[in-house]
Amino acid sequence: MNAATWICLLLPLASTLAITAGGTKLSRRATGWISTVTTFGSFAAACVCFGILLSEDSSQRTHVTTSWTWLSAGQYKFGLSLLTDQLSVMMMLIVAGVSGLIIAYSLGYMDGEDEERRFFAYMSLFVFSMLLLVQSANLLLLLGGWGMVGLSSYLLIGFYQERESAVAAAKKAFVMNAIGDATFALALFLLVQQTGTLDFPQAFGAAPLGGPLANLIALGLLGGALAKSAQLPLHTWLPDAMEGPTPVSALIHAATMVTAGVYLIVRCHILFENAHIVRDLAAGLGTATLLMAGLVALVQVDIKRVIAYSTMSQIGYMFLAAGLGAYANAMFHLMTHAFFKALLFLAAGLVIHALTGEQDIRRLQGVGKLMPRTRAGFLIGSLALVGIFPFAGFFSKDEILASALASGWYGHILYVVGMIGAFLTGLYAFRLVFIVFTGEPSPFAREHYHAHHGKEGPYSMLVVVFVLSVLSTVAGFLQWEPLWGLVSKWLDPIAPPLVVPTSRDDWISSLVGLLMGLAGIAVAWAMYSAARVEVPKPWTILERKFYFDELYDVVFYRTSDLLARSLGALVERPLIGGSLSLLGEGFSSGARELGRAQTGLVRSYALALAGGLVVLFVVFLVVK
Amino acid sequence: MANFIVWVVWFFAAFACLASALGVVTFKNPFYSALSLIGNLGALAVLFLLLAGEFVAAGQVLVYGGAVMVMFLFVIAYLGDRSEESPWSGGPSWLAAGAVLAGAALLAEVIVVVGLSTGNVLSQPKHIGRSFGSPASVGRLFLTDHLLAFEVTSIVLLVAAVGGVVLGAHARRIDPVEAERADARA
Amino acid sequence: MHGPDIQWYVVLAALLFATGALGVMLRRSPLIILLSVEIMLNAANLLLIAFSRLHGREDGQVFAISVMAVAASEVVVGLGMIVALGRRNVELDVDKLRTLRG
Repeated sequence: MNAATWICLLLPLASTLAITAGGTKLSRRATGWISTVTTFGSFAAACVCFGILLSEDSSQRTHVTTSWTWLSAGQYKFGLSLLTDQLSVMMMLIVAGVSGLIIAYSLGYMDGEDEERRFFAYMSLFVFSMLLLVQSANLLLLLGGWGMVGLSSYLLIGFYQERESAVAAAKKAFVMNAIGDATFALALFLLVQQTGTLDFPQAFGAAPLGGPLANLIALGLLGGALAKSAQLPLHTWLPDAMEGPTPVSALIHAATMVTAGVYLIVRCHILFENAHIVRDLAAGLGTATLLMAGLVALVQVDIKRVIAYSTMSQIGYMFLAAGLGAYANAMFHLMTHAFFKALLFLAAGLVIHALTGEQDIRRLQGVGKLMPRTRAGFLIGSLALVGIFPFAGFFSKDEILASALASGWYGHILYVVGMIGAFLTGLYAFRLVFIVFTGEPSPFAREHYHAHHGKEGPYSMLVVVFVLSVLSTVAGFLQWEPLWGLVSKWLDPIAPPLVVPTSRDDWISSLVGLLMGLAGIAVAWAMYSAARVEVPKPWTILERKFYFDELYDVVFYRTSDLLARSLGALVERPLIGGSLSLLGEGFSSGARELGRAQTGLVRSYALALAGGLVVLFVVFLVVK
Repeated sequence: MANFIVWVVWFFAAFACLASALGVVTFKNPFYSALSLIGNLGALAVLFLLLAGEFVAAGQVLVYGGAVMVMFLFVIAYLGDRSEESPWSGGPSWLAAGAVLAGAALLAEVIVVVGLSTGNVLSQPKHIGRSFGSPASVGRLFLTDHLLAFEVTSIVLLVAAVGGVVLGAHARRIDPVEAERADARA
Repeated sequence: MHGPDIQWYVVLAALLFATGALGVMLRRSPLIILLSVEIMLNAANLLLIAFSRLHGREDGQVFAISVMAVAASEVVVGLGMIVALGRRNVELDVDKLRTLRG
């Protein structure tokens, strides 16, 4: 058990180190294979852990393994400890599995890039960091993994470092995440002050129940989760993060890292349950995000940005569920979302790959005719995203809405907004499908499409897309409330739900959600396929993404810039600069005077020595 | 009687010591200065013997008066006749005056100290055994109580040897005049 | 102890030391300065050995030998520098070497 846990965590790290140390001695292809094989090795180890847990009684499924105490300060001791329980094993399976698939896809996608080795080293580093995040048995180690996924995300967004926009996007992501990391760390300080430990069960047990402290702790954790998961108001980095290579967008900015916030809330659910206001805030912010992102996604013209906004929107659903206390539903949606969102990104990646890196949907029009397999994959992903029976999203999203329906008046508001979001999802998802994958190919697509040896892409990419298509189709059947619920049964001992929808709620939500999705699809069909209208000139406010970037620019950048400038002009130059130059001049003139004592004559130095000796003698005589 | 002979020997040795020291300082030709220093070292060795320092005296004659001074003479011979036109320092006279003054002050102070402490512990030397100052006892001290000083000294010697080699090699490599000559020949 | 008391040795050593110091401060040839330094070191050695006799302990002699070793090192380096100067045809006059003037 312990061995499997450690192997799962350390294999990707070994891969990173090997690729880094190997340098140009390893061929580009070899680095890709090292990365792929080690990640699948991690997945195998995770499967072993899962199997062992499965064979145990449901109350005995928590295992902690500590290698050593890596930080010890006074009475506080923090071990390098890994936790294996139902929740972390589920995350390990998702992370390692999806990562393995996407890295395998990268074998084809990144083939021929200048710096494949660097790419695969970063990817392995990311997998290691993410596994550390989900496997750690105390919050401090979790924070370490949290920071390291931020680092790998930064490195991979800025992978095309010769592109200025990529570097800027990487910086933006890093700064936004740093804000979240800071609030996260502050929450940990409070928590360790209150409880004296950060190990999961003990810290939760001793945490303050209610009151301002509990609220502050939960708020700090929520800040970290919001930044990492790109939720309002710390969401602006995610669309820009699409500057990274498409597999990165699929892995980090859709399937795994951005869902870390959801994992954090579920993992620390006790802390959130101690702070009702923050819990409601999380649900509210998630709902606001899902609506806002759905609206903005309607008008974006970059295929990856549309999917990025859709990611924000879907994570909004997860926050909604986690905030309401429907933890298993949040985790279930996290899992299905990892499959179908990775599928969407990778299918889009096939298109981008085949069309010389073009991402503007106006120029990609009608490419589906040229790439039928990709079209099938993208269609499956979209259906799953919209939540059409029997694809995965139908089961997971509608359950979240059912939980909202069962949560009183606040839940009803969220339910209505969530349903509007479902309609928007259908609209923007099938806007993409209809524009890009139906109709006659645009001149651009015809001209620039070039097949890969007669196929739509290398085998490594096609196979991965196929596997994810299958997963997106069948994964939903793990849980079909109220008929059966394998995920809930698995997770409930770790995170007992606060809200259990009745079967009436379930049926209503399923039906309404399905209808809303179909309505969205119908409207999209009417607007973009049947009438084949030109892509309409969108509302400016949506195109400017609700002016968040501009707002932050004015509120934070401009003001601090102004403050810094005025401080520089009024304080630094006259006060500090002036006094320092005065000091410097004093020293230099003093040194010039002293320098005259340096005659350069050895004899004068010898005389000085002898004189000193004479004086010393006198001193000794007198003192004696 | 024995006491009288010791006094006589002491006076001769002390006189030779001082005279040769003055010679070192005053001779124009460094060659004579070096020879004079050998005399000084020999006279000092005699004084060491009177103070029961047989081993040190032998070392003084063999190592100092022999090896080190031979090196001096060799260097002086290598550099050739460079007897100075004005051996004494020129420059500001206050330097010379200050030097003499400082020397005199040092001397005066030492004599004052000695005078103040007459009749004290200084005039009652301890009784010593026969083996005092023998190579065996000095060597034992070196390898027991003063082992660290011994090792440090040996490292200093090693560093000095390396330094000597480096200085010599360095001068040869970047000597501009010789390089020019070599160029002319080539 | 036969012969003169320790005071005589101290005075003799002081005289030697002052002579050597004068040589260092007044002569211009680096060779002679080096020789004068040797005189000063030997004056110190004389004191070490005299006091070693006075106290009846041999530690002073041990240190006199150490001083001799250090003096030998100093001679090696000093002579090396003088030889280097001589090879470059620099005039052997310490007053001319004034690059350190402030």
